[in-house]
Amino acid sequence: MSGYRAGMVDLASGLISREIFVNEEIYAAEQERVFARSWLFIGHESQIPNPGDFFSSRMGEESVILCRDRAGSVHVFLNSCRHRGMKVCRYDDGNTTVFTCPYHGWSYGTDGRLAGVPFFREAYHSELDRAKYGLVEVAQLCCYKGTVWANWDAAAPPFLEYLGEFRRFLDLILDGWDGREGQAELIGGVQKWLIPCNWKWPAENFSGDTYHNISHRSVDLVGAGPSGRSRRDYSELNVARRLHVALPDRGHQTITYMLPKDHQPQPAYQNSPEVAEYFRHCEAERRKRPGINSRMIGAPGEIFPNIALLPRQPRTLAVWHPVSAHQTEVWRFFFVDRDAPQAVKNFLRDYYIRYSGPAGMTEQDDMENWNYAHAASRGTIARRYPYTYEMGMGHAVENYEWDGLQMPGRVVDLTKAMASEEPMRNLYRRWAQFMEAESWDALMPWRQTARARAAE
Amino acid sequence: MSDPVNIRTLPVGTRVVLNSGAEVEIVSNPGDGVWLFGRYLPAADDDAEEMIFAQDVVAVRS
Amino acid sequence: MKHDHLLLSLEIAQFLYTEAELLDERRHDEWLALLAEDIRYWMPMRRNVKYGDTTREFTRETEDINWFDEGKDTLTRRVRQIQTGIHWAEEPQSRITHMVSNVQLLQVTHDDGIPREVIAKSRFLIYRNRVETETDLLVGKREDTLRRSGDSWLIARRKIILDQNVLLTKNLTFFF
Repeated sequence: MSGYRAGMVDLASGLISREIFVNEEIYAAEQERVFARSWLFIGHESQIPNPGDFFSSRMGEESVILCRDRAGSVHVFLNSCRHRGMKVCRYDDGNTTVFTCPYHGWSYGTDGRLAGVPFFREAYHSELDRAKYGLVEVAQLCCYKGTVWANWDAAAPPFLEYLGEFRRFLDLILDGWDGREGQAELIGGVQKWLIPCNWKWPAENFSGDTYHNISHRSVDLVGAGPSGRSRRDYSELNVARRLHVALPDRGHQTITYMLPKDHQPQPAYQNSPEVAEYFRHCEAERRKRPGINSRMIGAPGEIFPNIALLPRQPRTLAVWHPVSAHQTEVWRFFFVDRDAPQAVKNFLRDYYIRYSGPAGMTEQDDMENWNYAHAASRGTIARRYPYTYEMGMGHAVENYEWDGLQMPGRVVDLTKAMASEEPMRNLYRRWAQFMEAESWDALMPWRQTARARAAE
Repeated sequence: MSDPVNIRTLPVGTRVVLNSGAEVEIVSNPGDGVWLFGRYLPAADDDAEEMIFAQDVVAVRS
Repeated sequence: MKHDHLLLSLEIAQFLYTEAELLDERRHDEWLALLAEDIRYWMPMRRNVKYGDTTREFTRETEDINWFDEGKDTLTRRVRQIQTGIHWAEEPQSRITHMVSNVQLLQVTHDDGIPREVIAKSRFLIYRNRVETETDLLVGKREDTLRRSGDSWLIARRKIILDQNVLLTKNLTFFF
């Protein structure tokens, strides 16, 4: 593949141009080519439990309203009055019966319908077709185990098809610690902060940067982890196969850990005997369940384009919202099991805050690197030198299997290799496809494969 | 010309007077300071809720 | 009575200036020594809420996600992280100035006629400059519970109210 714009993403050589991070034309094109037709994370149903509840969210650069209407249905609307564009909602969240524009008073129901138009009879002579001017609603919406996802493009595949085999990794963050389906709820409070770099720096980092532990050495030294050592518990991770899993057709990728069959829970969360016992119990329960997730431990991963998952230590989802080529607004959501004891939730909340976010001892050093790597990419001379993404090229395998468990996609076994850049190559392959494709028809090769198989 | 009325926190059941002279009873108040849902008085059983615009409210009767 | 109150206000203000000096001079171990062992250090996040909705403007201590919501153990680990010399977000270290003003005593608790515990409110303006041109200006209020300790005071509780919704600084590697 020649790569987007003749060589900018050159996967044959493993070289990617710095331009993709700093070029403002590319950034502008991304808003159409990537964000206007990808599935994007909006929020969680635990934020809008009752009719009339709303949460102001974002899709790409744009403000959207996540709300539940009077009948209980979930909607995602563009937060912009159809008349002259003013935001119809300037609160972070709340409950309402209407969204009213302060400019000329147009008012919309929580189902998006245009309900109130001042002087409709007099000034509009009752001629305005109000049905045409409801709040702009997303083309597709999906609620999956409480998470809400939306897509502006009606031609995009449904969300679960978009995820493909990556669903199991999303399940790792949304299912209960003991393996029960869909137990996650959000802890109240979404962290939002601005960072001075392109959104793709954090996106590629969370795709599975297994090479950057040196960034976080200072956290490991002071022991901010839940057992007072390092930054997380490693007893189990050290006996698992550490893998990179990349789904080339979808552009999702992750680090993951695969436990041996019949492996027993290892000590973790040692700072609190109550929490340690709770997780020991959960891990034991999880192993009794059928299905592959009983043998998986979650680690950083990325759903294309800009949603980062970290299912374990800490359990958090981030969205890298584009603001400009040189700035990103990060939104961080933190999860617990809804029925976990309060002591467990409290312990985890403390850990989450000191690990992730702007006061996160770990995330702070990531952001510093992204900040200055981005700044360095802007120079006239610097831009002549593409970045090497060559690590481990050609060493990924398909049909990976270990101790009776198979992994989809292209897999790199990191247990010996230590690190690879397969996930980054995967992310940018997909990014280049999105930047070049005129429509979703060109972005769903798996459908053609399926049709060909069906025809045989 | 009467002084403007802030309709934002008027309770349900309040009667307001419109600039047309009509009287309306508040059935629900969305709290946006721009609209009210009300019934014209005297009300019949099947009277629908109307949306009343703030600029049309000139007085609070009770 | 009023004279004593003014003198105490001055004493508390001087204490807060001393604390600011330690932070600005990067004398973090001495700063830690000003914190009570059971200190709670809390900085809520702020939401845009409807007029009159006073309960939901701030995230809740020990219940919600906050910017900070911790005790001395975590604060100490933050200091130790800076002191490793390889906490890249603070290496090289930021240049920082804490300006403290509007010191007011909200409550004074006496014991045997001696003020033992004080709730003091102040405002801060923190100027942080980093590497070449990175600059942050953070402004807000602090509500402190101070406990007498010998001739001086310990900070038993600090609530930091930053006047921002989306945080406009890329990190919080410094102390308020």
